[in-house]
Amino acid sequence: MTSYERLLSAVQGRRPDRTPVAPEVFGLAARLSGYRIADYVKDGGVIAESQLAARAEGGYDILFAFADLSVEAEALGCVLQFEADAYPSVERPCVRDAKDALELAIPDTARDGRMPVVLDACRRLREAAHDDCVIAACVMGPVSIASQIMGLESFLYLLADSSQKAERVLDFTERVALAYGTALMRAGAHCPVVFDPIASPAVIPPSLFFRHEGPRLKRLFEHFSAEGSPVSWVSIAGDIHKIMPTFRNIGINLATLDYEVPLVDGFRLAGGVALNGNLKPYLFVTQTPEEIKHLVKCCLRDAGKRHNFILGSGCEIPVESIRENLRALVDGVEEYRQEAVA
Amino acid sequence: MEQKIANLQSLIEAVVNGENDRSVVLAECLVRDGWVVERLIHEGLTAALRSLDAKCTNEEFNLLEIMLAGRAMMAVMDKVVAKHLSVVTPVMVAPGQTIVLGTIKGDIHELGKHVVKMLLKANGFKVIDIGKDVHPANFVKAAAIEGAASIGVSSLITLTIPYIREIRHILDAEGMQGVTVLAGGAAIQQARPEDLNVDFIAKNAFDALHFLCARPPSST
Repeated sequence: MTSYERLLSAVQGRRPDRTPVAPEVFGLAARLSGYRIADYVKDGGVIAESQLAARAEGGYDILFAFADLSVEAEALGCVLQFEADAYPSVERPCVRDAKDALELAIPDTARDGRMPVVLDACRRLREAAHDDCVIAACVMGPVSIASQIMGLESFLYLLADSSQKAERVLDFTERVALAYGTALMRAGAHCPVVFDPIASPAVIPPSLFFRHEGPRLKRLFEHFSAEGSPVSWVSIAGDIHKIMPTFRNIGINLATLDYEVPLVDGFRLAGGVALNGNLKPYLFVTQTPEEIKHLVKCCLRDAGKRHNFILGSGCEIPVESIRENLRALVDGVEEYRQEAVA
Repeated sequence: MEQKIANLQSLIEAVVNGENDRSVVLAECLVRDGWVVERLIHEGLTAALRSLDAKCTNEEFNLLEIMLAGRAMMAVMDKVVAKHLSVVTPVMVAPGQTIVLGTIKGDIHELGKHVVKMLLKANGFKVIDIGKDVHPANFVKAAAIEGAASIGVSSLITLTIPYIREIRHILDAEGMQGVTVLAGGAAIQQARPEDLNVDFIAKNAFDALHFLCARPPSST
């Protein structure tokens, strides 16, 4: 099987030839190729080169067209703080209130901010990998984009105090996510992954997720599916026990699961949705490859005979991780398989 | 009397539910009915804090609810309590500690720090907020100037960990071994205290409060 077929088999609940491995390797790929993070997040060529090299070294089954979490916010006018060897972050939101937010225009994905950089990465990755490996492009979800353009504190208070205004801001940020995700797919990505960390139950109560995020994710995934995406993939960090049972109805067929939700719970709650997880990312900094392989085998044991499991890290593998630990993922899967046969 | 108790219970619920304006109205009613503000603080706001704390212990913590409750509590403190007291009484018996709080160099996220600050202040701590993107040496400098017993360092990003580690080294070099260092924030919660060279990693704002309250007052 190719990596593409392997990953898609798991998403569709069919038996893959081995458990697919899809770790969230972003800036770490740059480090492994000798680039600084600032070079990576500003250059589609560096993103593509680093992603391809990291996958070749790690032997895993995914390529990410992703710079950082602030691409949409920057394209909408937020001022970012750039560091030489760290991800940029929003230094100054671009609007003060809901009224200002509603006057913003949907970004021109071919021109605004670093959206063209990531589109370039998509094109390069598709040219290099064709359909052998899923190229996943990351799109921020509506709640996180709203939090970035207004400032997290301001947006959360708006959500609590003035639901109707918050709805209108979210309608706008949903359109931003839709436009950017569509552009990424048309540039070569097979599927967008919707990252919405601010929609996590760690930040907003599940009731607000059900009301504001669920319907918007459903519309986004319906649109991306119509564009040809075979995977409707959501990544929401933290303890998502309470929102997971809604994933299937939202149209999600792959959910990233971080270490705060045990795999067994995840499978019980997900209602057949494939899961990608759930190794603790910081362990890639502190543990040895042997220890990582041991943890991989624990995950595989927990997943049991389920076909809809993709081994991953639940959240980004830190940039400062130990190089050899990346390869330990696939090695751990292979060893587990051989031990099972023996 | 029954009406006053009912109003007090309503105040607790309003604060916990983050109902800003209603909390102020209910607190005003209680004061107008003769409730002394110290009692309002201890039996109203402190009870609300305990209720929130219990909720967090039950793994139901979410940032927005804590922010809203904190905002309601501070509104009562600012708009009702402050009018009736020349010096605002701490909500609980203060451990008599000062803490320097900041977001470490390389990170500019401040919301989590603001929530911790609000909670600590409500519990009688003197909080020195030194802002965001703060160099490790400046945490130590502020602690020395303020005579702080603790340093609280916030970060969302694992890349900042080398800077967090430096704080203890600088404290030791300055002969300030008695200062406690605690850390908190999304990504670094996965680390162990020894990874960060700190005394404690708080899971959430209440976890930080419990840790600080459990420590004996420092003579630093």
